[in-house]
Amino acid sequence: MSTTTWHADPNLLRAYVEGRLDAVLSASLERHVDACAHCRSQIGPLVEVPVLEEAWSGIRTGIESGRLPLLVRLAQRLGLPEPTGILLAATASLRLTWLTGGLVTLCFVTLASILADGAALWPFLLVAPLVPVLGVAVSYGPAEEPFEALTVTTPYGRARLIMVRTLAVLTLTLPAAALLGLTLPGPAWVAVAWLGPALAMIPLLLALASLTGPRLAASLLSLGWTGLVLFAARDLPSTWPVEGTQQVAYLTLAVLAAAFLWVRSQRTQQIGVAL
Amino acid sequence: MGMEAPAEVEDAVLLRAAADGDLGAVRVLYERHAPWLTARLMRRCNDREVVVDVVQDTFLAMWQDAATWRSDGEVAGWLWGIAFRRMVSRLRQRKQTVLMPEWDGAATGLLPAAEDQVLLDVEYGDLGTALRRLSPEFRAVVQACVLDGLTTREASRLLGVRENTVKTRLHRAKAQLRDSLADLRLEGLT
Repeated sequence: MSTTTWHADPNLLRAYVEGRLDAVLSASLERHVDACAHCRSQIGPLVEVPVLEEAWSGIRTGIESGRLPLLVRLAQRLGLPEPTGILLAATASLRLTWLTGGLVTLCFVTLASILADGAALWPFLLVAPLVPVLGVAVSYGPAEEPFEALTVTTPYGRARLIMVRTLAVLTLTLPAAALLGLTLPGPAWVAVAWLGPALAMIPLLLALASLTGPRLAASLLSLGWTGLVLFAARDLPSTWPVEGTQQVAYLTLAVLAAAFLWVRSQRTQQIGVAL
Repeated sequence: MGMEAPAEVEDAVLLRAAADGDLGAVRVLYERHAPWLTARLMRRCNDREVVVDVVQDTFLAMWQDAATWRSDGEVAGWLWGIAFRRMVSRLRQRKQTVLMPEWDGAATGLLPAAEDQVLLDVEYGDLGTALRRLSPEFRAVVQACVLDGLTTREASRLLGVRENTVKTRLHRAKAQLRDSLADLRLEGLT
């Protein structure tokens, strides 16, 4: 390639960009530009910025979605909107290590309950509702952050962010846990009944987390639930923690927690700010 | 944009960083190459949406193939190769208008600065005159196959004529160019 020190005149470049050069002159200029980084860079300011920005946003999205985890790409294939997919990809609980860890634990616990021949349902009842709850708590990353840092990096409201993540965790954990529940000995309704405390604990977790951060909230809830299940295991029927009256109590707590969250976000005049 | 010349990182280095997943490196390459690429595509297709799509596709392809890029050429030329081929195949998918550059300098009403004219003429002077003497169909084939570096098949897609027609026209255009250049040389001597 030629190593001339000649560089195209700004007016010539402008005429080229605006399409005012004839073909021979354009072709000549293009051959020069092929070999001249300086003239290439001079074209930069002459090109419409919106066109460049539009193309760039597509490129960035393309690159980022190329790196989305397999599960998220699968969900996108099924119609999940792209921004939500990227949001989910940032969810730590989708990392397979955590997910398999939780489910393997659940398998062992189920096995223990089966081997005890129905006499001891409590290991399953202890662990199963906690898997989705801890999943939601873990999905906020390793740091003890009261959801603050999250929203700094996303253009979404906190409420939406948290709901999307919560739903993702539930979609991944509930079916597996429910299937395992079906293999349990004892009354068949237990396989479904544990969902009551599991679902009730999620608004509780979110309400607590808005005060203390997700880690502490999850620890408090786990301790509370463990205490309840172990207390019941001592001399009450093994299904006591998921029987009717208790379910009503869980539901009441869940409603209270949701109301608390709502009031808090109303008081601060900003949707989702309480979380 | 463009003026951050000092301590400039080479394209090949940036491309390697991009292959390792560095979005910042992709951005620098984009700022360096997207503007001229866009300008060049706009000269060939007057549909803004197609150009945006092609620029997008080109840089995504660059990012995907960055790891396999052999550092034996200019990144700029490589990008243009991807971009123009993408555009031709895009045009095949939909029936889009192509804007071939205007060949008649007088019609565009632009007279380049004398110095530019002279310097460009050093390399392309006679050829330019010879090219202008070609008929429009022949010029289009020369533009596509010779100047833009398309294969005859790609050129046939772009121009909407059969591949054999492209070959014939290219052959005849070359013959005419040779004759014109000989004439011009002789005119210059006399």
